[in-house]
Amino acid sequence: MRGKLESTALLLTLASILLIMPPIAYLFQWQARLFGVPVEVIYLFTVWGGLVLCSALLSRRLPPQTPPSGDDDGGSG
Amino acid sequence: MLSADLVIATAIGYVGLLFLIAYFGDRQSRKGAGGFLRSPFVYTLSISVYCTSWTFYGAVGSAARNGLEFLAIYLGPTVFFVGWWFMLRRLVRISHDQRITSVADLLSSRFGKSSRLAVLVTVIALIAIAPYIALQLKAVTSSIQAIAGASEFSQGRLRGIDEAGLALAVAAGMAVFTILFGTRNVDAKEQHHGVVAAIAFEAIVKLTALVAVGIFVVYVGGGLESIFSNAEQAGVEIYSANTFDSRWFVMNLLAFSAIICLPRQFQITVVENSDENHLRTAAWAFPLYMLAMSLFILPIAIYGLTAMPAGANPDMFVLTLPLSEGHEGLALFAFIGGFSSATSMIIVESIALSIMVSNHIVMPIVLRWVPGEGAADGRGVSRLLLNSRRFSIILILGLGFLYFYLTRDSDALAPIGLISFCGVAQFLPSILAALFWREASIRAATAAVAVGFIVWAWSSFMPSFQSSSPAVAAIMAEGPWGLWWLRPEALFGLDGLDPLVHAVFWSLFLNSATLAIGSLMTNQSALERIQANLFVNVFASAGRGPTFMRGSAAANDLFFVAQRVLGDERAISIFETEAKEQGRTWQSLEPSPTFISRLERELAGSIGAASAHVMLSKVVSGGSVSLEEVMQMADETQQAIEYSQELERTSAELRSTANQLAVANRQLREVDQQKDEFLSQVSHEVRTPMTAIRAFSEILLDNNGLDTDDKGRFISTIHKESLRLTTLLDEILDLSALERGERNWENRPIDGEAVLEQAIEVCSALARQRGVGIVSAGRAGAAIVAADPDRLSQVLINLISNGVKYNIAAKPLVSVTSHTSERTYVIEVSDNGPGVAEAERNKIFDKFYRGEGVGASRTGAGLGLAISREIMLRMNGQLELVATGGQGACFRITLPVLETHTATRAG
Repeated sequence: MRGKLESTALLLTLASILLIMPPIAYLFQWQARLFGVPVEVIYLFTVWGGLVLCSALLSRRLPPQTPPSGDDDGGSG
Repeated sequence: MLSADLVIATAIGYVGLLFLIAYFGDRQSRKGAGGFLRSPFVYTLSISVYCTSWTFYGAVGSAARNGLEFLAIYLGPTVFFVGWWFMLRRLVRISHDQRITSVADLLSSRFGKSSRLAVLVTVIALIAIAPYIALQLKAVTSSIQAIAGASEFSQGRLRGIDEAGLALAVAAGMAVFTILFGTRNVDAKEQHHGVVAAIAFEAIVKLTALVAVGIFVVYVGGGLESIFSNAEQAGVEIYSANTFDSRWFVMNLLAFSAIICLPRQFQITVVENSDENHLRTAAWAFPLYMLAMSLFILPIAIYGLTAMPAGANPDMFVLTLPLSEGHEGLALFAFIGGFSSATSMIIVESIALSIMVSNHIVMPIVLRWVPGEGAADGRGVSRLLLNSRRFSIILILGLGFLYFYLTRDSDALAPIGLISFCGVAQFLPSILAALFWREASIRAATAAVAVGFIVWAWSSFMPSFQSSSPAVAAIMAEGPWGLWWLRPEALFGLDGLDPLVHAVFWSLFLNSATLAIGSLMTNQSALERIQANLFVNVFASAGRGPTFMRGSAAANDLFFVAQRVLGDERAISIFETEAKEQGRTWQSLEPSPTFISRLERELAGSIGAASAHVMLSKVVSGGSVSLEEVMQMADETQQAIEYSQELERTSAELRSTANQLAVANRQLREVDQQKDEFLSQVSHEVRTPMTAIRAFSEILLDNNGLDTDDKGRFISTIHKESLRLTTLLDEILDLSALERGERNWENRPIDGEAVLEQAIEVCSALARQRGVGIVSAGRAGAAIVAADPDRLSQVLINLISNGVKYNIAAKPLVSVTSHTSERTYVIEVSDNGPGVAEAERNKIFDKFYRGEGVGASRTGAGLGLAISREIMLRMNGQLELVATGGQGACFRITLPVLETHTATRAG
């Protein structure tokens, strides 16, 4: 399960790069408007919002962190 | 019109409010009550110090000038945070484990606690950040001027003060605030809870202000639809043709690196992080914050371009749009938002840089030049640290102001920020190598950062002085000393690229190449290897530093050092904890190696890894020597382990080779035996006719008196036997050629029936001679098969003649039938002879096998059926003996039928 979640996280990271970079981004560079706003603007903000959503869903599911061992030996650090 | 006095008073009041928040925040967290201050949302909000006045004012300007390009500055960090699991998590864990205090400390610690690298990184950061500080000064100055207007009435106290004077005043004010905020005490972990609280508050203020202006603009502009339509009618370009060009990629990359390489981002995101699980929230909440900040940038820019007079500074649209509509309250709020974003940036950046300067430049100098007892009054080092930080803050703002003064002619904000981004991006290759590449070495990293810095300074930093310095302008045009290939914006003749792309490419490319190649060519020291392992395997190891300080140290000396750096309180608490663990009074404490390295990490939290290491090395005798010993021991153990593993592997390989050899040997023996058997059979077969020939020829030679009849009989016997011999040898050759697959073989579509007819014809003479009848009833008509007609005929003749020759029935009969069924062509040759005994059925296809039950008058070598079967296999067919239940023998041939007459040749 841990491996799958980590793979998903990696995939999401790679997807975030691919989606905002050409050539995929070229697909949405139209001279047209949606709700009054140019399509590429809508596209970028949609991808952005999607990334926020996926990141929120994924981040809390990723395996818990063991507290860093450096913290327990420093007295009242 | 708002008066300048009011604006300045508001700004000062706002800073006072921030100061109060920081003060109470510190008090709360000191009392241990500030639970709210340690929430993941406060942490996330504090990261938004990334959004400076560059975002607040500059993004609108950038959108007005270059379209969607401004988004790259926020998408790069979004990628970084979405991928927090792979890089940020690692950084935070390492920094907690190693008590890292800054980006310089991180690199120095990873590369063998090197002071030289730390100094280099600090100096580069100081220079690279200067434009960024200048940007904030410029933004605040411009915003005061924009809001207070140019009229005599509203200038108030600003009358007679020019832009530079105003900027100087802003810089001085910021320096005072930052010193008050950030240098009141030295914390063990360099965490500033109060400052973080203030930053989180101002994050909300600037977001609210920008969103308020955005909503106002959308409202005034009559909705998004009408804003964009009006802009299009007014001739404003609302579709950018080349958003996703090389600049887009480069700016994303720069922003990605800036979110961690900028000293203030490292400070807030990594050093101030109190709980790794806060990253889970930041992973989505920070991108969301940036999304919200960017949401209204484009509408504001587009509406500004449409509604404002030509020539208005787009960087100031956020202020000038509400002003032009007469909404002074909103304009003042927007001013506070922009001012707030500049203030927070300057405060955190200065604190982060001043920590770097004091830990990596001032401390090493003091440690080297001032004798250990020089600062004997308990808090000496603490005070020294604070003073050096105060001095650094003044230096940093001074540098920022200097840069502002020298480049005050250029007007856009965003390009200035990108110069800084490109400068700090030079740390990225080394940081990545620190986290993921064990082999990266200190010399390579130092050289790489230096090379990147020089290229950046030449191709990005220097050109920004073009407008103020004729000398720079000349170098830009013709290169230094006329060396055209060194022109800053066309290095090595690389012409025609965007200047930013050009600078980023050359600096990062040469930087990474130096790091990679240099690391492969140099060796790491012992300490470097230890640190490299700790960094790269941060999640695998227990995360503790090695206990290499084996030498002895007096507890008093150690306490003295700790007291100097950490102050009485913390030093006593650390020693008491240790004493409790050892079960002694702390006066009689015996410092264990574990304790010494724990102390080193504590010290590193205050003065950096390199300085802490130097400091303790002075007190602990023989520390470095024992380190080398430990490393050597570790190396020897490692080598022994590797050697034994290799032995094991080698012996396993040997075992498997031996097994394979045994199998091969067994197979060879079997083949050899078969060969022997075959040879003895052949010799035997050849010997019989040879004996006969020899005997008859000897009789002929010895007895001259033989009559002609006898002579004729003997000679014909000799002839017959030699014919048999020849046939036998021919068959052996034929069979061995077939088995080795040597013969040229051509299967082509033929009519099997025609071949069968011919074979019957050939055998009919023999049959008549022997008085055997051949019945061919029930035939298939026509059957096209892929075969060699001569070879097929050979098989059929062999079968039919066998049936004729070995038939000893009273009324001998051979019957030949054929039919096609399910794409196979079947020929059956049967006789009413004695048949094949059950025991022999398996053997009759063997070489040299001749039926036993039949008479001795057989001719032939017993190879006919073996050859026939081999031939049938080569034609993809079969030859088999059909069970008849004792009623004669029946051989069946099957061949696949070709679909059509034009079918291709079968293989």
